[in-house]
Amino acid sequence: MNRFLALGLASVAVSVVASTATAQSWRTLDVARQLTDSAPASVQVVYGTGRIGIRATSNPLLYHMQLRYDATRAQPRHAFDVASRKLQIGIQKSEIRFSGRNDTDAGHLQLELSRRAPLDLNLDLGAVESDLDLTGLRISRLHVESGASDAKLRFDSLNATRMSMLEVSLGAASFRGDRLANANAPDIRVEAGIGSVELDLGGQWTQDIDLRVDVTLGIVTIHVPSDVGVRVTLDKTLASFDHEGLIERDGGWVSKNFDSAPHKLRVTAETVFGKLSIDRTGR
Amino acid sequence: MRTAILPLILAVAAAPLTARQAAAIQQNPKAEKPVADSSAKVAAPVVEATDSGKVQLSKATVDSLNQLVGRFRRDPEAVALPPANQIAMGGRTIPAGTAVAGPVAVAGGPLHVYGTVNGDAVAIGGDVIVHPGARITGNAVSALGTVSLAGGTVGGEIRQLAGALGAVPQAAEAESPARSTRHALALSSSWLIILVLMAIGVLLFAGDYLDGVVDSLEGRFGRSFWAGIATQLALAPVLCLLVVALAVTILGVLLIPFAIVAFVLAVAGLITLGFLAIARITGESVAPAASKRYSARGAALRALVVGVSIYMGLWVLASAFAWAPVVETVIRGVAVAITWVATTAGLGAAVISRGGTRRSASTASFAAVNDIPWQTPTPVTGIVAARRPTPSASTRDR
Repeated sequence: MNRFLALGLASVAVSVVASTATAQSWRTLDVARQLTDSAPASVQVVYGTGRIGIRATSNPLLYHMQLRYDATRAQPRHAFDVASRKLQIGIQKSEIRFSGRNDTDAGHLQLELSRRAPLDLNLDLGAVESDLDLTGLRISRLHVESGASDAKLRFDSLNATRMSMLEVSLGAASFRGDRLANANAPDIRVEAGIGSVELDLGGQWTQDIDLRVDVTLGIVTIHVPSDVGVRVTLDKTLASFDHEGLIERDGGWVSKNFDSAPHKLRVTAETVFGKLSIDRTGR
Repeated sequence: MRTAILPLILAVAAAPLTARQAAAIQQNPKAEKPVADSSAKVAAPVVEATDSGKVQLSKATVDSLNQLVGRFRRDPEAVALPPANQIAMGGRTIPAGTAVAGPVAVAGGPLHVYGTVNGDAVAIGGDVIVHPGARITGNAVSALGTVSLAGGTVGGEIRQLAGALGAVPQAAEAESPARSTRHALALSSSWLIILVLMAIGVLLFAGDYLDGVVDSLEGRFGRSFWAGIATQLALAPVLCLLVVALAVTILGVLLIPFAIVAFVLAVAGLITLGFLAIARITGESVAPAASKRYSARGAALRALVVGVSIYMGLWVLASAFAWAPVVETVIRGVAVAITWVATTAGLGAAVISRGGTRRSASTASFAAVNDIPWQTPTPVTGIVAARRPTPSASTRDR
């Protein structure tokens, strides 16, 4: 059996070597636009493979993208429509091709966005390693869609704009959201195919939050501050639910302080294979 | 930054800037004699870099800068440039209180903007510096340099390019039949070499397993082919079942990625083993080795190389016709069909023989008959009282 695996490994390895024997042309593109006013803007980021980072900029810029890419495989995209205030940035999706090598070591995109303009942020990511530090930004809506990725989303301070919806849709991925209460979103939706999802709802609670989690196969862990009331409605098939500290009531599971808590988290979870854990110790 | 840019420019041209010329370009351009309007017609490229006025660059330097400008023009990230004779070589200053029509472009030096540029401002191999009070209504673009906002405003995009300038290589390759043919030939030939190397490796380190699959194929080709089809159809369901089975147990969820990788590797190993087995049989059939000329292993190697060359030769042949898409498609179709049949039969044989660890019954019995060691249970003088065949050690092991 070991020889089999070795033979298979050799086959796969030579396939990779053969498929990557093509020329590369690495380039760096740096684009930015000065901030002229603080009117709302819509930002769509498309990035297929590599590393991506998003954060706020302290410079008077609407956006600033630093992109390293292989010109033989990718075509940068950076278009801002002044009239509609719609920014499309990243890599043309149709041009994304998997090279087989570890692109995450080479291609990367670093995007800095204005702290002053309210942003409707839409991230369309492929197989990427992403670090989305949205601390200090004014996000009015956030939609993250990713194929196979290792994604981290962070709000270290309260989002100055009320977010209408925080939506994360993942294929096969590992996702971690830190201090999501700071997102200032009453409605959070996380959908994942296969993978692990860790949601830390720490931060500043300004309102109740409805959290919908739909994970087909994987482990979902939700960290909630102990002073927040929790209610969990679970639809599970061949999945386990760690409900320590919760009591069953009205077809769901609630924390003892649910009725008296100043803020409430209502979790609607659906999972087929996997595990859902609620950690109420706070982080 | 400018010191970093100059070597890049120098790399373009065979004859680089002289030290004196480079120094002249690096001097403070604030006191330069400005050109009021970029649309002004000039007969030769102009250098505006020193207090004393204009300095002529050598022809070689200008040629190298023109070459750089040409590459920038072909770059997908470029903006429209003015005609070549309106690109200021060595740098330019737009003085305060003046407005010029864009695009304004310089090469091999900085573009200092104190006034207004109505359009794009471009520096190729130089920086764009937007000073306090300055205004660029279009884009500010620097290739192999930087755009510095020192208090001015840019209405459009601020863009900096670094790395290889020029047209994207893949576009040119896609348009050239000769290049695409060369590329296809290189790829298929590489595969041929890789498979031959793998064949040698398998023969050296897993020869017994290969023999097992070959035996299975020789004995039951039809059965192997159908088993191969059944295996192909069963791959996805088996993988799903494996994942579900692991997912049912919570701890098993963590093993799913490893199980998927192991499954893929095992299947790839079986396919490779099966393909090499059928390649060996094909090689033995097409070019049988003279029995006395080669050792057993040498004959097997020869057969493998011949077989792999036959199968991959079709692909190489198809690649040779990459310049003629119709012919290439037909040959490639034949190659796909033949390779699929061979791989399917090989996979089936590999599965039936459990990866070459189990020989076919006919071969096993034949081997048993030939390898029977006769033994005498009791020492008898003169007459053999009883002899009974027993399975040989090697047969038992199989």
